Amino acid sequence: MRVLPFAEAPACAPARRRGKVRVQSSAETDEALLSRVARADRQAFAQVFSAYAPKVKGYLIRLGASAAAAEDLMQDAMLSVWRRAASYDPAKAKASTWIFVIARNAWIDKLRREKVELAYRSALPVSEESADEAPDDSVIRSQTDDRISAALETLSPEQRQAVQLAFFEDRPHSEVAERLSLPLGTVKSRLRLALIKLRAHWEQLE
Amino acid sequence: MSPRHHPSADVLAAYVTGALEPGFGLVVGAHVELCAHCRAQAGALEAASGEALAKLAAADVGADALEKVMARLDEAPHAAPKPDPRPLLERLPLKPRKWVAPGVWVAAVDTPHAPENRVYLLSVGPGMPTARHEHTGAEFCTVLTGAYRDELGVFSAGDFAAAEGDFNHQPRVEGDEPCICLFATEGRLKPQGLIGRLAFALADV
Repeated sequence: MRVLPFAEAPACAPARRRGKVRVQSSAETDEALLSRVARADRQAFAQVFSAYAPKVKGYLIRLGASAAAAEDLMQDAMLSVWRRAASYDPAKAKASTWIFVIARNAWIDKLRREKVELAYRSALPVSEESADEAPDDSVIRSQTDDRISAALETLSPEQRQAVQLAFFEDRPHSEVAERLSLPLGTVKSRLRLALIKLRAHWEQLE
Repeated sequence: MSPRHHPSADVLAAYVTGALEPGFGLVVGAHVELCAHCRAQAGALEAASGEALAKLAAADVGADALEKVMARLDEAPHAAPKPDPRPLLERLPLKPRKWVAPGVWVAAVDTPHAPENRVYLLSVGPGMPTARHEHTGAEFCTVLTGAYRDELGVFSAGDFAAAEGDFNHQPRVEGDEPCICLFATEGRLKPQGLIGRLAFALADV
């Protein structure tokens, strides 16, 4: 079981409801800011972003995301804050709770969405091996590497390029998009199709 | 009837904070969906997590992160998935059922899980003993329909059970309807007896 992301934060146990927790002397409350975001106020969104984006990213890293994946996912989560702000009800939840739930759901959705990727990665014995590797392991690894190369051969050149950048060089999807001069959505669907293809090829070999 | 067997506080906290493996989270979620008590607890834990998030040390975000997100504000959003009102049992994406004995079937749940983290439904007819087995790792279970009894008591719809490593138990179905349970396990199960071996071999779970 994983370590809780807030293990050392003070408020992990259910806290009694207090009044306003943070003293915000001159600034608006986060709740008021979110209400402005709901009215498509970009300046208010920028304020919410600077307050929460670094914390959301920190939370995602604690859940086990790599820095690059946490950056991507944080940006997606903050975009969801913008899109869903109209459904935020300050009577039901504090802004921090609502943003937390969006970030957590983004994380869980990512794990579900990237099922194929997870399955694929789990078949790759890279980066998890210990330094003192048994001889048998290296034989298995070179066979596995051959099979991965063979699987990669089944991809189109465009798919292979995207897979290379995203998984072998571990670059965030946004950077892959930039390098290939493609919209982010195209990169994501290209990767998804490539992984499905790889997985199918892999299963055929098993 | 409201469930009588609940996840422990730390399991519920791990579920709420997103720290559970998705397969295990699905099983806890199945309980929470049927349990008003745990839903209230989960709500309190979400509020506490929000407080913790607000107090969390800031991570460095990309220098152009705000700019990138601002540039995406006008993108057409993906249609949000509509909440599915059907009971979990009907919503679960299942692989084909495999009958392993008269009145016993297993179906793997098509959901993200690492190879050592299996999620499946097991349905056992009235009066049947289920597979006696030991665990090499943790197992979570939520009863979806029917009931079973084991050394710890009677577990009926909505009840949650967690078993750790060396727990060897033999549940038996209670009442006259099949008992369908949602399981997540880590580590290989070590089934004992024919039904157990068949069930787990055939279902590839």
